Amino acid sequence: MLAYAIRRVLLIIPLIWAVATITFFLMHGIEGGPFDSDKPLSETARARLNERYDLDGSLPSQYGNYLWNLAHGDLGISVSNDRDITDIIRERLPISAQLGICAFLFACTFGLTLGAVAAINQNGVGDYIGVFLATAGAALPSFVLAPLLVITFALKLNWFDVLGWELWNYHKMVLPTISLGLLPAAFIARISRASMLDILRQDYIRTARSKGLTEVGVVVRHAVKNALIPVLTVLGPIFAGLVTGSFIVERAFAIPGLGTTFVNSVLIRDYGLIMGVTLFFAILIAVMNLIVDLLYAVADPRIRL
Amino acid sequence: MASESTIRQPFDFAAEQLSTEQRGLWEQAFRRLIRNRLAFAAGLLLGVLVILSLGAEFLPAIQRHDPIIQDYGITNQGPSMTHWLGTDILGRDMWARLLQGTLFSLKIGLGTQVIILLIGISVGMSAALAGHKSDSILMWLTDLAYAFPDLLAIIMMRQMLFGRDWPIIGKGDPQIPGLPSALLATILAISFVSWVTVARLVRGQMLSIKEQDYVLAARSIGASPWRVVRVHMLPNTLSTVIVAVTFGIPLAIFAEAALSFIGLGVPPPDASLGSLISDGYDNLYSNNLLVVWPAIMVAVLMLSFTFLGDGLRDALDPRTRK
Repeated sequence: MLAYAIRRVLLIIPLIWAVATITFFLMHGIEGGPFDSDKPLSETARARLNERYDLDGSLPSQYGNYLWNLAHGDLGISVSNDRDITDIIRERLPISAQLGICAFLFACTFGLTLGAVAAINQNGVGDYIGVFLATAGAALPSFVLAPLLVITFALKLNWFDVLGWELWNYHKMVLPTISLGLLPAAFIARISRASMLDILRQDYIRTARSKGLTEVGVVVRHAVKNALIPVLTVLGPIFAGLVTGSFIVERAFAIPGLGTTFVNSVLIRDYGLIMGVTLFFAILIAVMNLIVDLLYAVADPRIRL
Repeated sequence: MASESTIRQPFDFAAEQLSTEQRGLWEQAFRRLIRNRLAFAAGLLLGVLVILSLGAEFLPAIQRHDPIIQDYGITNQGPSMTHWLGTDILGRDMWARLLQGTLFSLKIGLGTQVIILLIGISVGMSAALAGHKSDSILMWLTDLAYAFPDLLAIIMMRQMLFGRDWPIIGKGDPQIPGLPSALLATILAISFVSWVTVARLVRGQMLSIKEQDYVLAARSIGASPWRVVRVHMLPNTLSTVIVAVTFGIPLAIFAEAALSFIGLGVPPPDASLGSLISDGYDNLYSNNLLVVWPAIMVAVLMLSFTFLGDGLRDALDPRTRK
């Protein structure tokens, strides 16, 4: 397993290279440059700006420079506000991370409960409600959910705030968390319902029941624990979904996180920042996938890596 | 009479056998689809939406008002008999704008799937049939695509394709009637990023079909490789592909709406569902109905395609028959 983990970690390096390369050339293919504005710059000013931000020289030499700096952990400086890109990411990350973690916890608890309740009441009322919520949740992307939630709970009922994010302030936490977390929750509910149904038919569940365990004990101690394993396999796509979802939810609630940073950097063609954030997300997703795979092996002794 | 029947019978017999058999497969699937009430209702609803939004493009009687003409005398009105869904902050009729947005979304959904199918089937097929090297290239590409956050890639691809006057896409006036260049750039961007799923599916199906007895039988009686692929292998991947396409449509609609929502959609004054949601969201305080209509429409489209996809999967795969 250690050998497997080391191999996987090493495989992240070519992945970073590939993502960096694709991003680099896509980005430079975008019409216009970062210094294009309504008032054209003088040639000398443009030349000096290009020099300052490593944008002089041919495309291949810029590419080489970029990779060289990247290998040294240097992401360069942002064209838009002249700051270190690592600093910008470090500053914006905590907000996005808080939002992402809250949404993730919400998705897991809500999704698992929904799936378990649906499976226990198979073909009953609880099942229909669970399946309906899971299907509807999958069809309600965050940009549909966010405005509807805001209108109902912030404007009409006045329970929560319309904008912003603040940890431990439920006025600002609940709506962004639900907007981001409902889609993955629906996904988890579907998977956990299916795996619970499968497990409730297993022999060891019958054994647990026959030794006199209460139904709650059977479900909590034996069924839910084992139903978690298939859910682990979809955590990878769920992390990726939380990352992309954060663009939309951060825009909807005016949260100054990494998602907002990325969207703005594309709009103003801040090359370095686009690269930095893309690479950061790609590495994050790769590491999360690795952790999930290792967890999978730990959770299910039948799997050997 | 007798002689006529003896002459015609062998020919007719064969033709009839063939046609009932072919009809049988699809008819059975269709029957199963109809029996699934949810999928049937979803299909019906989608049909109505397609007719309404296409009709609005050509028939003023359906559209009722021009979606882009502003009238400052009637801004922010609620629903009324003249303006069924009210008007927006610039006095444009929401019914007309909603139908225009729906048509854009449907074009995105179907357009991406056409391109994804073209790329996905040819790449998936060559990966499965052309030997190890092309196969490992595809696998590497798909791994990469799964590692890359797809919306990030779509955003950059769309920015690269738009406003640069590429052939076919163009800049300003649409090169293809009914497909403004921003829309086409978005369609291509989504397709170039999401074809890998179909390619992987087709590859998987082809690899397993390649080992089936009927393929061996066809090859052993001397069918050419191209004929084996065309007659025996491609049709058998069809049901998987159809289901993937049905699920791919809502994903594409989602991607376009997300792009529009963060400000990378069709340029105003045209409206897509995403840009309608975005505009409505910005004017939440003055008129919160503006965001509700397009939000409901996106949800209805995505739900309908999902239900239809579920129904199609059950109908086309005989193994899931209960």
